[in-house]
Amino acid sequence: MSLLDSEAGKRRLLSVEIPVIERYNEGREPAFQIRLSRLGGTLVLRYCLKPCHNIYQLETRLVSSYPTVPPETRVLTALKHCPHLLEGQTLCLWRQGSTRASSRWDPARYTCIFAVQAAWRWLACYEVWHETGEWPLPEAK
Amino acid sequence: MAHLIQVGAGSGGMPVLDMLCRDARLTRVTLIEPDIYKPHNVERHLFPLSGVGEAKAELARRWLLERRPNLQVDLLPCDLRDPEQQSAIEQAAAAADIGICAADNETAKYHWDALMRRHGKPWTLGEVLSGGIGGFVHWFVPGGPCYGCVASFLKRSVTVDKAPTPDYSQPGGPVQETTIPASKASIQAIASLHALVTLGLMEDPARYAPGFSSLLLTLQRVPDVFEDAFRPYRFRVPRAADCLICQARPTPSSAEELDVALDQAFARLGDA
Repeated sequence: MSLLDSEAGKRRLLSVEIPVIERYNEGREPAFQIRLSRLGGTLVLRYCLKPCHNIYQLETRLVSSYPTVPPETRVLTALKHCPHLLEGQTLCLWRQGSTRASSRWDPARYTCIFAVQAAWRWLACYEVWHETGEWPLPEAK
Repeated sequence: MAHLIQVGAGSGGMPVLDMLCRDARLTRVTLIEPDIYKPHNVERHLFPLSGVGEAKAELARRWLLERRPNLQVDLLPCDLRDPEQQSAIEQAAAAADIGICAADNETAKYHWDALMRRHGKPWTLGEVLSGGIGGFVHWFVPGGPCYGCVASFLKRSVTVDKAPTPDYSQPGGPVQETTIPASKASIQAIASLHALVTLGLMEDPARYAPGFSSLLLTLQRVPDVFEDAFRPYRFRVPRAADCLICQARPTPSSAEELDVALDQAFARLGDA
């Protein structure tokens, strides 16, 4: 299914993703709400997160094969080179077969908000790493 | 008199098709397969070396007709997700009695699952694990668990350790699942189970009850993964009440209303 072009994709957006985004935004300061835009067949979520003392701008892309293919999240705010960071400041969040359940993207259970929460956890780890040089979560296998 | 629609005629799909075409009840096959037969396929495939360079779909047609000259074989030599072929694929699915998924990537499996559910068709799926250490056979019927329910339930817990990280720089590309090639013998063993389950399901989809919805057969002993070789595990995966793939949620009924509702949502949430 193609997220923005197919009927199934549109139904998934309307019945699953949009409602959870609206719930996420409810009561949240406008600067920290998720804003949506369409880029070709991709849906882009732009938002800010503040896991500790710093504010980061992020972008999560739901590509046309979403939710089968996991969301792709990158940090727009400049980061120091660190572990678990891929090219283009894309966060390494998912790994099929990972021993950590939250690192295995599951299209039947997770929505795009799970990706936002995963990004928040990643940034919290980054802040600790920035100060201590150690990534606080043990490596998943 | 049964019409089978199958996606994939690779090393796993072709043996299943070969075994099923021997059954006289099968009178028509529609095969979706875009690939060309390559030299590296020969080791694990039914097709001969002389077929290298030809379309797998055409080779499959020849193979089937040599064994069942009266079989009707229709080919769709395209990618399952090719937007321009969706109408032909939908028509073929609507006309079929049963489906087989022999695709090796997750996107195709979910796409196939949605196609089969849309048309209310029973279908089966075979999966050989990396290195040929074992494999799954799953069967699906309308109203039962979808592929999302099954994949979520099984949680890929038997994926071989140290699989490489998927290439998220190409998020639309296939997800690589099998990196250590399985032997032809392991592929054939799982294909045989897949064919047996499909034949059983074809007999009477409404009453088919083999005692599992997913069957895992181990073929090798692998420390920390499988304690024994040749051990079956029978899973009865229920339909998940909160599955985001198959549980219907209220949305506008017409395509036009759907577009309007989506545009309104984008307007609320900041789409320019």
